[in-house]
Amino acid sequence: MKKNNTNNVWIGAKDLSQDPQFMETAGSEFKDSPLFELLGEEKVGENLKSNRRDFLKFLGFGLGAATIAAGCDIPVKRAIPYVIKPEEIVPGVATYYASSIVRGGDYCAALIKTREGRPIKVEGNPSSKVTNGGTTARAQAEVLNLYNTNRIKAPLRKDENSFKALSWEELDIVVKEKLNTGKAIRIVAGTNMSTTSKKLLDEFVVTYPNAKVVKYDPISSAALLAANEMNFGLKAIPDYRFDLADVIVSFNADFLGSWISPIEYSGKYASKRTINKIEGATMSRHIQVESHMSLTGSNADNRIMVKPSEQGAAIVKLYNEVAKLTGATTIKNMPINDKANNALKLIAKELMASKGKSLVICGNNTVEEQVIINKINDLLGNINNTIDFTHSINSRQGDERGMALLTKEMNQGSVDTVLFLDVNPLYDYVDAAGFITGLEKVPVRISTAYTLDETAAACDFIAPNHHMMESWGDVNPKRGHYSLIQPTIHPLFNTRQAETSLMYWMNKGAEDKETVYFEYLKLNWQNSMFKGALIGEAWEKQWDLILKEGVYEETVSPVSVGFNGDLTAAVNNMANSKNTDLEISFFENVNVGNGQYAENPWLQEMPNPIDRTVWGNHLTIPISFDGDRRYESFKDLKDGDLVDLEVNGQRMEVPVVRVFGQMQGTLGLALGYGRMQAGKVGTGIGVNANVLLSQNNGLTQYFAEGISVSDKKGVDKDFACVQYHHTIGVTAVDPETNEKFNADERELVDDFWKNVTTGFQGALTERSIIYQTNLKDLPEKAAWLKDKRHHAQELNERQIYNGYDELYEMGHHWGMHIDLNACTGCGACTVACMAENNVPVVGKHEVHRHHEMAWLRIDRYFYGDVENPNVVYQPMLCQHCDNAPCENVCPVNATNHSQEGLNQMAYNRCIGTRYCANNCPYKVRRFNWLDYTTADIVYDNEPALHLGNKEYGDESQVFGQDDLTRMVLNPDVTVRSRGVIEKCSFCVQRLQEGKLNAKRGERKLMDSDVRTSCQMACSTNAITFGDMNDKKGDVSEKLESPLNYYVLEEVNVRSSVCYTMKVNNRDENLDA
Amino acid sequence: MLLLFVSGSILMGQAQTAERGKEIFDAKGCAACHAKDMTSDLVGPALKGVRERWEKPEDLNNWVRNSAEMIASGHVYSNELFEKFNKVPMLPYPDLTDEDIESLLLYSEAVVAGTFKKKAADPGAESGDASAVVDIDMEMLDKGKEIFNAKGCAACHSKDMKTDLVGPALDGVEGRWEKKEELYNWIRNSAEMIEAGHEYGTALFEKFNKVPMLPYPDLTDEDIDALLLYVQYPDGPPSIDEAVADTQVADGEEGFSFFKSNIFYILLFLISGGLVFLLAMVLAKLKNEAEEKEFGEKGTHNLISVLMSRSVLKFAMFAFIVFGIYFTAVKAMNLGRQQNYQPDQPINYSHKIHAGVNKIDCEFCHDGARRSKHAMIPGTNTCMKCHKGIKNGSLYGTAEISKIYASIGFDPNANKYIDNYNDLSQEEVKEIFTTWIAKQNDDFDSYKINQQWENIVESLTNDQKKTVQGPIEWERIHNLPDHVYFNHAQHVEVGKIACQTCHGPIEEMEVVRQYAPLSMGWCINCHRETEIQFTENPYYKNYKKYHEEFVAGTRDHVTVEEIGGLDCQKCHY
Repeated sequence: MKKNNTNNVWIGAKDLSQDPQFMETAGSEFKDSPLFELLGEEKVGENLKSNRRDFLKFLGFGLGAATIAAGCDIPVKRAIPYVIKPEEIVPGVATYYASSIVRGGDYCAALIKTREGRPIKVEGNPSSKVTNGGTTARAQAEVLNLYNTNRIKAPLRKDENSFKALSWEELDIVVKEKLNTGKAIRIVAGTNMSTTSKKLLDEFVVTYPNAKVVKYDPISSAALLAANEMNFGLKAIPDYRFDLADVIVSFNADFLGSWISPIEYSGKYASKRTINKIEGATMSRHIQVESHMSLTGSNADNRIMVKPSEQGAAIVKLYNEVAKLTGATTIKNMPINDKANNALKLIAKELMASKGKSLVICGNNTVEEQVIINKINDLLGNINNTIDFTHSINSRQGDERGMALLTKEMNQGSVDTVLFLDVNPLYDYVDAAGFITGLEKVPVRISTAYTLDETAAACDFIAPNHHMMESWGDVNPKRGHYSLIQPTIHPLFNTRQAETSLMYWMNKGAEDKETVYFEYLKLNWQNSMFKGALIGEAWEKQWDLILKEGVYEETVSPVSVGFNGDLTAAVNNMANSKNTDLEISFFENVNVGNGQYAENPWLQEMPNPIDRTVWGNHLTIPISFDGDRRYESFKDLKDGDLVDLEVNGQRMEVPVVRVFGQMQGTLGLALGYGRMQAGKVGTGIGVNANVLLSQNNGLTQYFAEGISVSDKKGVDKDFACVQYHHTIGVTAVDPETNEKFNADERELVDDFWKNVTTGFQGALTERSIIYQTNLKDLPEKAAWLKDKRHHAQELNERQIYNGYDELYEMGHHWGMHIDLNACTGCGACTVACMAENNVPVVGKHEVHRHHEMAWLRIDRYFYGDVENPNVVYQPMLCQHCDNAPCENVCPVNATNHSQEGLNQMAYNRCIGTRYCANNCPYKVRRFNWLDYTTADIVYDNEPALHLGNKEYGDESQVFGQDDLTRMVLNPDVTVRSRGVIEKCSFCVQRLQEGKLNAKRGERKLMDSDVRTSCQMACSTNAITFGDMNDKKGDVSEKLESPLNYYVLEEVNVRSSVCYTMKVNNRDENLDA
Repeated sequence: MLLLFVSGSILMGQAQTAERGKEIFDAKGCAACHAKDMTSDLVGPALKGVRERWEKPEDLNNWVRNSAEMIASGHVYSNELFEKFNKVPMLPYPDLTDEDIESLLLYSEAVVAGTFKKKAADPGAESGDASAVVDIDMEMLDKGKEIFNAKGCAACHSKDMKTDLVGPALDGVEGRWEKKEELYNWIRNSAEMIEAGHEYGTALFEKFNKVPMLPYPDLTDEDIDALLLYVQYPDGPPSIDEAVADTQVADGEEGFSFFKSNIFYILLFLISGGLVFLLAMVLAKLKNEAEEKEFGEKGTHNLISVLMSRSVLKFAMFAFIVFGIYFTAVKAMNLGRQQNYQPDQPINYSHKIHAGVNKIDCEFCHDGARRSKHAMIPGTNTCMKCHKGIKNGSLYGTAEISKIYASIGFDPNANKYIDNYNDLSQEEVKEIFTTWIAKQNDDFDSYKINQQWENIVESLTNDQKKTVQGPIEWERIHNLPDHVYFNHAQHVEVGKIACQTCHGPIEEMEVVRQYAPLSMGWCINCHRETEIQFTENPYYKNYKKYHEEFVAGTRDHVTVEEIGGLDCQKCHY
């Protein structure tokens, strides 16, 4: 064993350190828990005394119940048709509406799938040139936000300490009166990408001249905007062309996960990183400079580790190196660690070699650093090339310095009215404490929140907003690109769109509150966007066309900028690092953002891509290698240990998780958790890291120095990390012989096959799960792969089901191809799968017990340097093996094979023996241990979402118990009950629908007819699905790549999911 | 040339006499006893081949003029006929000349040969028209049908062309209009003609409750001619649907089967019971004799003691348990199945009248069947397509149709939809409809009116739904379990399965019942037997092996099973 483990992959600390407990669990499919724990409630154990009499009682009850059931009439079911059936709705057929998903700065052009008038799924809109049909996990989960049980259902007014419902008319009268008498009105808003809404807000300020708008973002990019205004004269974020950049250097910018416009960036980034040929293959080189491994960092070829406080120094160093090479004036260097110092020198050379085709970006919220970054890009000739201001991005507009001013004013008592437009500063503003004390001094507080969050709860009047799927609107995510938002469901509650509320308060209301803003929007498009050039029928036609397409593009005048700025001033202002021993960085996860999505159970249960924990944030701690055998973690802490974290005098108890790639002497903690007003789902989940943030020159800083961490204080007994669940093909090293073997087949080997060393279907060979290579070794490694697969392919000629090939060759034979080079691990596909297939959410306690139900998981593997590894993400789902080992062990034939190569699961046949799951080499089968969908009649079988979180959980409910949440269910997919196995079906409902469409059209089936949910969700096109018999189809083309391999091909299960070898472009010189 | 002329004139002559034969056939009411298609026996014999059956033509002529006389004279064939047809003598037609009878015979032969064509519908030019035989232009007929369906003519005009619905029966419509141009104009814009005061047009308008015909300005003269042709021959080429329906109906009426009846089992039981008694008696006797031989003393075994012996009781117990388990299992399997389920519906809607008598297409109302998984119970507005005009039912008068109006908010008194209907109080709604019921039923006293209204309220409201306004809540008859996926479009549109295959002779059902068991075995069996549209639908092109077999001649059909129709995930996902 050595520190640099180039050829091996591992999944985490327990794996590398051969944790005996883990090795044991990894060997069996299901985690063995104490019986009482298995039954759900520890106290059940006390009453669990059953005897012969009880048995007879149960028997008698069973018989009696059966008799009664047999004697009863079948309940009358009613069929209720429409009175007047709308033309566009055909019950049983989905209708898609082009719309957009927008929440603050997050944008996704979408097609909303509705059934019988209710939205059930979000698909990307392929017409959009911004998102190109891609989505994020957040966009996928937005449909569940529509059915959030924490939504405000009517206008509210605070009396004493409780809210009372009132009518809109009553509310409008009071609010208008307050606004008219207000002398200093402040409107607190987030980023607003809507041109029409912006115009309306401008008009509002004209109507109420005492009003002022304050904009801020939950995660700020104010420094970037300020620096660009300084250097280029434009307060805008340019379009970063990752598709044109050969070298990408990112300082702490998580552009694949959450920074600015991740859907667009992912697509463009992946386009430069897919390998289409072996000889002379090229790909971009991506270097990430950070301390905590972000999603983007995990995809990088090289990670340069610097402490959060060293970021400025690293940027200055890079500038100086570039300046030296270009002959520009250098500036004073600042202290930085040696390794980074050397690496940055080499990076500068590399950047110079790709002048004009490189990209240096920075996610830090410091104006000075952004100015230097701008200068570096200027020296490299990237401005107007890879950095394009023609199509500047509008997704970050806020500046928290305005908020600081507002806080001051409020505390002075000079503000008399505050209006919150869908923002939650009481939770996510850096100085929330100051804001709260200030707000108490404001006499009139109005909110247009759509759920009862922290800020809404502190207001006097709430004019509840529609969800975006009930609203009209437009979005201008990028200069020249527009898209529309159209309602896809009648408002569920007595709510009103925020814009409409503003119109009413400006006396612009009309009798029909649902159309007044729509008319305004349409008129604005006609007059401003089209300059009134189209009128009458021509305009209506054009409008319908845009509405149908969902997106609209406009040719814009090209913008060319030149750098103009003073570096010395910037450097003088830069804060020197205190260089403390322990630092912490705060970051935004791809799931809950900065708390905006905390109420969404799909996102809470989606594992964070790096540390793979769910339901809460965890302090990520580094792991070091002692140079011999031992891996030591920070303070010798184990996953799930509770510690006290102290930052700037603020103390909080937080569980830890060990993460590779976390720099020594640094920690990480995700923002967005610890919400105290987030409904039944989000309240009290994790800890609130926003209170630990600090400010520098009025800008929020997402790191802290001089922190301290206590020793282990306890253990989070429900610590839920899916990292070590369902592991496949774990290799271990025999301590005596130093030979490798498969941990999960150890017993078999020991008992029966002592003398066999190789060849038994790969039992003693290294398992093929992940193959990876460096770009420069590609031809060599491709040949090696071919050789490696040779033996497995020979085995695969033998099969269990002889004669089936003839069937598979006819009709369809479904197959999937997953490009590990394109996959960034963002997790959009996993949420898309949950939404499409009615996969239940099980809650933290159940995940802790290895009971998560996700059909599609993304396995994360490390390889390379232990302290600074590279990462491969592998989406793992049912492989639909043609020689499926799960099928022939089922005693009731509930799982079997279809003529089209699908591994079918008939839930109603399943009796829950779980033999199939035990026999699945990929561990992709999931068992309904409890009644996760509340389909049973026995209440005790239903798990609560927050067991062990009783202070919020007294009325804690099962996910999907209420009618509102159940509206999200896909009516074409069975809702599974307790006691059955389920797994990926290749979205068979979509296949059947596609086939039917082809049959009805009397034509051949096309690739576009059959697209799985995960494939549709992917923004990098990593997943390709299709009919393998269609030799001209997408999937057949992908199957030709020499880098392809099948996972565990040597066990001869003939899987239908093909992967490509991961290729990185790591420059080993940077490691030295 | 001469030959041509001669043969031409002969043909013409024949045609003219056959034409005359048709006239006589109709005028004399021959069809009362002789089938119109000439090939089947009714009261009288089929006329096909009648000429050959009589030895002498004079005999036949006499028979037609006075059959009783022939029978009395003892003519052999006459008597045979008399006996065969239940001793009903043929009515005498003494006024028919030999030529007349010849015409009749020619007519019957022409019908049998299929060469008889009705004369072009032109009442003005009855004689002297050389082209008396007109071929039906099939293309035009098809086009007519297409237009008829596309324009939704059936919404107002009965499909059988014989019944008045919202609009008049279309049979003979040409004859009713003096000038063809006027008919054209009427179809294109009836309102204009009424306004202009056209006599017949106005009369029609008055007759049909002042519902004007919808204008179809885009129909050309040619289109209308095609329509008129179709009106004349609505059943021209028998439609596939009807043919299938007929066979299905026939299947449904399976004859009495001895082996399927209970009598068979009772007999079987009695016989085997008798056998058991016999055997027991024999056994008792044998035992007695054996004991007598062995012990010298006659035993006391009798029938009872043998039947009550240990081994017999054991066997009986065993049999009881086995049968018990068997029947429990069978019954358990049928749990939740509800074949022949026939609940009362809120409206006494008769499929017999709508689909049977008026021949309204199933998909006219259940329009989801073609394109969705659900066939769909139509919304109230679909009913209103016809019932805006038809306000009195043939069976229940105002009792049932008023429910539609009460659901959707149509005021039949004023002939218009009611504004803000959902906001009206129940009293106000009652006022509207009791007025209507009173107006329509002169003989009703206030008690009867009230009774009818109470029935409407009862049908349209329930515990959850307190007002008559709003949807009609039907009772669902065909219920599949949640884990079963069934798609109507797949079966109706792609598989071309007739509705009646699963729903039974719906056009004969006054109240709909569940015809099929809807069990999995029933589904599977159909998938095993049903052939797919394999060669017709290009979708199936990728089943290359089957196509090769078709070419090689080793295969003539593909069943659903053979393309994976028995896979679990065809129906369960």
